[in-house]
Amino acid sequence: MDNAILLALLQDGLTTGAIYLLLAVGLLIAFSVTRAIFIPQGDLVSFAALTLASMIGRHIPGTIWLLDSLCAAALALSLARGRLNAVIPYGLAPAVLTIATLAATRYGAPTAVSAVLSLGIVTALGPLLYRFAYEPLGEASVLALLIVSMALHFVLIGIALYCFGAEGVSTPALTDASFDIGSVTVSGQSLFVGLVCLAMVGALRWFSVRTLYGKALRAAASDRLGARLIGVDHVLSGRTAFALASFAAAVSGLLIAPITPLSYDTGFEIGLKGFVAAVIGGLASYPLAAAGALIVGTIESFSGFWASEYRNIIVFSLLIPVLIWLSLTRGNPEDRA
Amino acid sequence: MTKPGQRRTLIVAALAVSAALPFVLTEYEATLASFTGIAAIAALGLVLLTGVSGQTSFGHATFVGLAAYTTAWMSRYGGWSPVAGLPAGLAIAGGTAFLLGLITSRISGHYLPLATIAWCASFFYLFGILPGLGGYNGFGEIPPLFPGISTGTAAALIGVILIAVTILAANLLTSRTGRAMRALAQSRIMAESVGIDTARLARSTFVLAALLAGLAGWLFAHVQRYVSPAPFGLSASIEYVFMVVIGGVSQLGGAIVGAAIVVLLRDQLNDLLPRLLGSSGNFETVAFSLAVIASLQYAPRGIAPAATSLWRSGNRLLNRPPPAKLGLPRDVSWPGLARPSTTTPPPTLERAAAHARSLPVRPKPPRGSLILQTTALEKRFGGLIAARSIDLAVHAGEIVALIGPNGAGKSTTFNLCSGALAPTAGSIRLLDQPIQGQGARAIARRGLARTFQHVKLLPEATVLDNIALGGHLRARAGFVRSMLRLDRTEEAALLQTACFQAGRVGLTDVLNAPAGTLPLGRQRLVEIARGLCLDPSIFLLDEPAAGLRLQEKQALAELLRALRDEGMAILLVEHDMDFVMDLADRIAVMDFGEKIADGPPGQIQDDPVVREAYLGGVA
Amino acid sequence: MAGLATTLLLRQYDTNRAAGAKVWGTDMRMIRVFGTAAVLAGLLTTAASAQIKIGAIISITGPTAALGVGYKSAFATFPAEIGGKSVTYIVRDDAADASQAVTIAQRMIEEDHVDAIIGPTLTSADYAVQPIANAAKVPMIATAPIDYDPVKDPYTFSAVQPVALMIGAVVGDMAKRGVKTVAYIGYSDGFGDQVYDALQASAAKSGIEVVANERYARTDTSAEAQVLKAMTKKPDAVMIGGSGTPGALPDVALHRRGYKGLIYGNHGMVSPAFLRVGGAQVEGTIAVTGPVVVYDQLPDSNQSRAPSVVFMKALIEKVGPDAVSPFAGYSEDAFLLLQAAIPEALKTAQPGTEAFRVALRDSLEKTHDLVGTHGVYSMSPTNHNGMDDRARVLVQAVDGKWKLIQ
Repeated sequence: MDNAILLALLQDGLTTGAIYLLLAVGLLIAFSVTRAIFIPQGDLVSFAALTLASMIGRHIPGTIWLLDSLCAAALALSLARGRLNAVIPYGLAPAVLTIATLAATRYGAPTAVSAVLSLGIVTALGPLLYRFAYEPLGEASVLALLIVSMALHFVLIGIALYCFGAEGVSTPALTDASFDIGSVTVSGQSLFVGLVCLAMVGALRWFSVRTLYGKALRAAASDRLGARLIGVDHVLSGRTAFALASFAAAVSGLLIAPITPLSYDTGFEIGLKGFVAAVIGGLASYPLAAAGALIVGTIESFSGFWASEYRNIIVFSLLIPVLIWLSLTRGNPEDRA
Repeated sequence: MTKPGQRRTLIVAALAVSAALPFVLTEYEATLASFTGIAAIAALGLVLLTGVSGQTSFGHATFVGLAAYTTAWMSRYGGWSPVAGLPAGLAIAGGTAFLLGLITSRISGHYLPLATIAWCASFFYLFGILPGLGGYNGFGEIPPLFPGISTGTAAALIGVILIAVTILAANLLTSRTGRAMRALAQSRIMAESVGIDTARLARSTFVLAALLAGLAGWLFAHVQRYVSPAPFGLSASIEYVFMVVIGGVSQLGGAIVGAAIVVLLRDQLNDLLPRLLGSSGNFETVAFSLAVIASLQYAPRGIAPAATSLWRSGNRLLNRPPPAKLGLPRDVSWPGLARPSTTTPPPTLERAAAHARSLPVRPKPPRGSLILQTTALEKRFGGLIAARSIDLAVHAGEIVALIGPNGAGKSTTFNLCSGALAPTAGSIRLLDQPIQGQGARAIARRGLARTFQHVKLLPEATVLDNIALGGHLRARAGFVRSMLRLDRTEEAALLQTACFQAGRVGLTDVLNAPAGTLPLGRQRLVEIARGLCLDPSIFLLDEPAAGLRLQEKQALAELLRALRDEGMAILLVEHDMDFVMDLADRIAVMDFGEKIADGPPGQIQDDPVVREAYLGGVA
Repeated sequence: MAGLATTLLLRQYDTNRAAGAKVWGTDMRMIRVFGTAAVLAGLLTTAASAQIKIGAIISITGPTAALGVGYKSAFATFPAEIGGKSVTYIVRDDAADASQAVTIAQRMIEEDHVDAIIGPTLTSADYAVQPIANAAKVPMIATAPIDYDPVKDPYTFSAVQPVALMIGAVVGDMAKRGVKTVAYIGYSDGFGDQVYDALQASAAKSGIEVVANERYARTDTSAEAQVLKAMTKKPDAVMIGGSGTPGALPDVALHRRGYKGLIYGNHGMVSPAFLRVGGAQVEGTIAVTGPVVVYDQLPDSNQSRAPSVVFMKALIEKVGPDAVSPFAGYSEDAFLLLQAAIPEALKTAQPGTEAFRVALRDSLEKTHDLVGTHGVYSMSPTNHNGMDDRARVLVQAVDGKWKLIQ
């Protein structure tokens, strides 16, 4: 194996790793605030790509109707409890988004506009899913939430199949450019993926350190009861966390759609690998999860080279030693003397 | 538990239904029944693993697959009879589970289900890659269970096997091992404190679940007569979890109900939903997934228990006595998933207990001999020193109280002595043997019992069962003896002892109530009775009087004195000074992790150092 | 128990091609309460089977859903009448799960009393269903490539080109272009295995060496590493063993890595969706397929031209231009086989009876030079597929279209 191949594999691994990084960070935010392992995040990756592809193909994306019906249900429930201000998030906002989406689809808006709308739709789905699937469970165990996640995953792929059909899609590449650095060719898209990831991580850091929302989220994550006592709204922080997680998923979806064809059920495994990365980070540490994501991406790339048949076995088996180490060092998180 | 007569009627009825299957079912219905039965057998393993012992696996289908592939390969290519494939398949599934268990029993909490996801995904690809297994397309031409067996007969056979394993599992749950499994789910620390080897039990339960999955896999291979990796992947594993969640994770019946709902309804919905919705799609999967979410939100105990309680409340309305549960185990909880039960507990083995011999009793050390001694005991958590140079001695026939302000290090000292924590430095000797660094289990085996500051009980198990848990080390029945009901004499003795100890602490009136329904004070008494069941030489009581009413406190003091007079050594932490001063022979006072005084109550009351610690030197 | 297996509501999905109109009939033939009227329902179904019933088992959902949708689309074009008898098509989804295919097949056989089964569309499901169909003497026309022995399983037929036949055409083209070494990049699934096995067997015969066997999963995001590995072997050509849109993954990566050799595809990749996803990055890829996919480019001399044009026109009219796929053609050919064989069988017995199914099987076995959309079928007691060189054409991705090159 010469250096050129080594670097090419590294580039490939880091590109995929960057995607896993986004997902791992989203997963971590959702987990630390709500204790829910948001496995269906992977499905939202597909949702974003399929929504955009469908708008580019001048078909109204089914996700907008999904969003509208969830909003309508949430609105009805809120109004029934007398919360009139729910009209803005659940009535007005989706109405605007729907009109914009319909118009963009009808008149063939530029790809960038459609991409922003797709981001909006998929991001908005996150808190709604949290609202209906996780919130009613209250303080259930991590296990119960995990099972809900699995069930939600099946619901989402069912919806995706119904809305978008089974065929895979890809979206136009943002750039066909490529740069030669020494003997290595770096594709513009890889570079773009990397840059967006860095920007996202930076933005998330800014959000959590500088904004009130972010501070509340961090408080809720580090001490749930304490945060509630000082007046942090745990429902709101949960929804915000899910919005961030689904935003990360939507961005990932739009980033990889030009590189790899995505269909209704491919997002799940991408999400699982982001999940592997998050677990490597101990489901707690962002820098470790980020490192884990890049490691997963790189190992995936190198094992694809050396033993492609065993690639997924290798990636998933990575989890076992990590989990043993975690259990030995942390003990049982749900049973303390 | 059911009355023996009812249980027998139920078994006979179930057998009769199974026997009738070949005559009433068409081939297609028989196939559906077979697949339902097979799924139920596998799901039963998951109920034992998840519902009872609190470990969740998203890799259950892997073990179904291991056995299915083993028997399929042997009978197709090896020329073996399918009957020979059963032990081989079970060996491979059980053996793999054992090896994975060696690794994963170290993995605790929610890390375990995550690990199972990992290996399930790995094994799926492995099935497709391993040479000779037909690749991802799998292979067929697998012989049927018996030459010329009809689909109906196969369904009947599967029915009989399902009944058999359900009986075995039900036997298991109403035994020493079953109690231990439930303790595992509730609190590993508590389980270890009564002498349960939690890692080993977790591993054994895991293997047992895998064996049930293996049995299902063996049947699957010879009924389907075709194997490929697809039915053993992550989706299939998740489907098993869905089955037990929908059916009810806490009852064996839940496995059967859940399997029936998923397999049979899917077959109907597969046809119906696309027609209703005028489009194709995996609507039935969506429907089941929504059902799982709804079930966790509104009926976390699943459909079977929900139906049972509905039936009960219906009965109550009609002023009929509630029927005993149908051969199924007592309600067991899945911590976190289940909400408090409203179901009434079943009757117990009291009558049998009355005729039983009692359990072995350990020889007690002579009065006045040194039982527990700590020397320069120290515990640090990072930079924090929780306990420093603690010297304590407790003798047989002596009550020593450990007092001190909150955060003084009393509970830490307790946890060090009982093995829940390992000391940083210093030595602990129990009955003249060094025990520092030994686990809680080994220390319990040497005759140390304890209670907890925050009560650790099985809230949905009966008081009697909770108490009997304490006798774990005094009985021997394991998985096999429990399942085959060879443990009945021993079990009766165990329950008799438990009844006796319940009587000593004054819980006879609530023997059959779920422990979680008692007021906190009485829950503490359950813990005390559980500790007594261990037949301890020394008993560590962490705030035993908290939450008790005055009369109860007096009764407790009475009991502790009686125990002391029998020669037991007692070390207790307590905040109620009247209670302590009245009861203790000697009092040790702790403050800021150090022992500041030690002596008879009168001396301690007058000690200026103690007064300063408690009153900040004002007095 | 008996009632568990009842059909609650049956809506027939009939289409009348001759009339050019889609007929949606809601037929609440039986609504049964669980466990009450099994016998009655049995009588009803028996009495109602003077018409012909054809069952179809298709993976409309699950991992191979993209292909399944193609298989299913053809049913919108089938006529409601064959040989003067009305026909009902019962289409069910096995979700790419062989166990579900088994129960569905059993249900079709016993409750619906189908006279023949089209499908399943998944190789593993075909293997699982085959013993049941043969035991019940129901002719089954598999629409996925399987190996079977017609002497042992006389009721199994296949409307799909054997993989070896298709890959043989690819290898033939390689040999013609002087390829000496070929690298394989395919799915880590059953289809990937089948294409690889066929490639190896065929290449060995032509003196071409298979220098790499790299695999990727359908859901992988990147096949970059596999492509790099294959390229280290400096193969004259690369053969791709994927299907549907994810089949484009290595193809695109090869282009991106500047691979200069030939790129070959299999018949699972030739669809408009593949080109839409691959875009300019799959330009030049040569693939083998059945004639139906390039129906509008076929020369008049090609036998399959006429049926392909008729079928595709009907399909595009009913379903839309995206429906063009080889998979719809397989369903069509299975139908054509039945349509040709049924009149003969009707001479001996009535539909719904075992005698009819036996006659249908015999009649199917006598199929001679039946021209389908994918090729020409000539069967015999030892060959229940009978496709030959006429069932394969080579196409190349040129300017975003599949262009017939041979």
